[in-house]
Amino acid sequence: MTGLGSGVREFLLAFADDEHLMGQQHTEWIGVAPFLEEDLAFSSIAQDELGHAAALYAIVAGDGDPVVDDLRIDELAFRCSPDDWRSAQLVEVVSGDWAHALVRHWLYDAAEQFRWEQVAQSSLTPLAEAAARAEREELYHRRHADGLLDVLLPVSDSGDRLRAALTDLLPLAVGLFDPVAGEAEAVATGVASAPLDTRLGEWTDRVRQRFDVDPSQAQPAAPTGRLERHPDFGPLLARMREVIDLDPAAVW
Amino acid sequence: MRRYEVFLKKDGRDEFRHAGSLDAPNDELALVLARESYARRAEGDRLWLVDRENVILGDTDFMAPNADKPHRHNDGKAIAEHRRNVREGGS
Repeated sequence: MTGLGSGVREFLLAFADDEHLMGQQHTEWIGVAPFLEEDLAFSSIAQDELGHAAALYAIVAGDGDPVVDDLRIDELAFRCSPDDWRSAQLVEVVSGDWAHALVRHWLYDAAEQFRWEQVAQSSLTPLAEAAARAEREELYHRRHADGLLDVLLPVSDSGDRLRAALTDLLPLAVGLFDPVAGEAEAVATGVASAPLDTRLGEWTDRVRQRFDVDPSQAQPAAPTGRLERHPDFGPLLARMREVIDLDPAAVW
Repeated sequence: MRRYEVFLKKDGRDEFRHAGSLDAPNDELALVLARESYARRAEGDRLWLVDRENVILGDTDFMAPNADKPHRHNDGKAIAEHRRNVREGGS
């Protein structure tokens, strides 16, 4: 299947933008994660998320056929104006604190599993293939996040920090389920099996079991169809473009 | 924290080889952290993780007596000569 409709395109870009920014945010812990082994593990997870983003951008750039050169992926990943981004605010907000980064990693990856499941049987074959590959990697991401939380949540100091981060992040995390307008077209054409918010209840149950809180108490940010950027987005995009802006014509 | 010894093996005939060690609070996190610390470039496709508490140790005192036994470094020359002599009817 080639020739993506504009709704499908927007649906894929929203997913790609989330993966891209989540990967970018994780990479900012390289060298400053709490200990060496964690530095390596978290960097690998960051690379995986960037890989997922690249796979999704490639499908968009190739209009359904992901065999495209990297410059066309870069166009989508780095050159879009802020108005064209469709990321969730959860992945735009800066985490200056490790507890915050860890909780976000858990919240994001819990939702990401459902997201890939929604496209595992996609009518868009390259997307279904990307889902199969991603799920093998995501299994590790979830074990990593859960393994750390198993150890850190029961300890009073670290547990308090993690719960504070959760309180802070939950309203934004619910925004992962805020659909772009194009999702309807993606569902209608079989690119996705159902709207992502049909899985919100399962995600909420997981959050409740994991953190022993009631996530429905969190007041979610008003849905915007992912059209509004968080204030942290501008500086984040500037950091991401720092190198590419030095020489926009450079070939990597 | 517990200390774990990491062993990796690649598919094929090679045996498990010691890759290094790491500290982790439990087996699950040790496994998770060991994979990316030691095998992120596909250095192995199987992994053994051994809690150092479970390693049975032969310490240097126990091993020392064998440090000074050059007669056990047999290159086979003396035996080969003896066999040749016997075959040729010599002593």
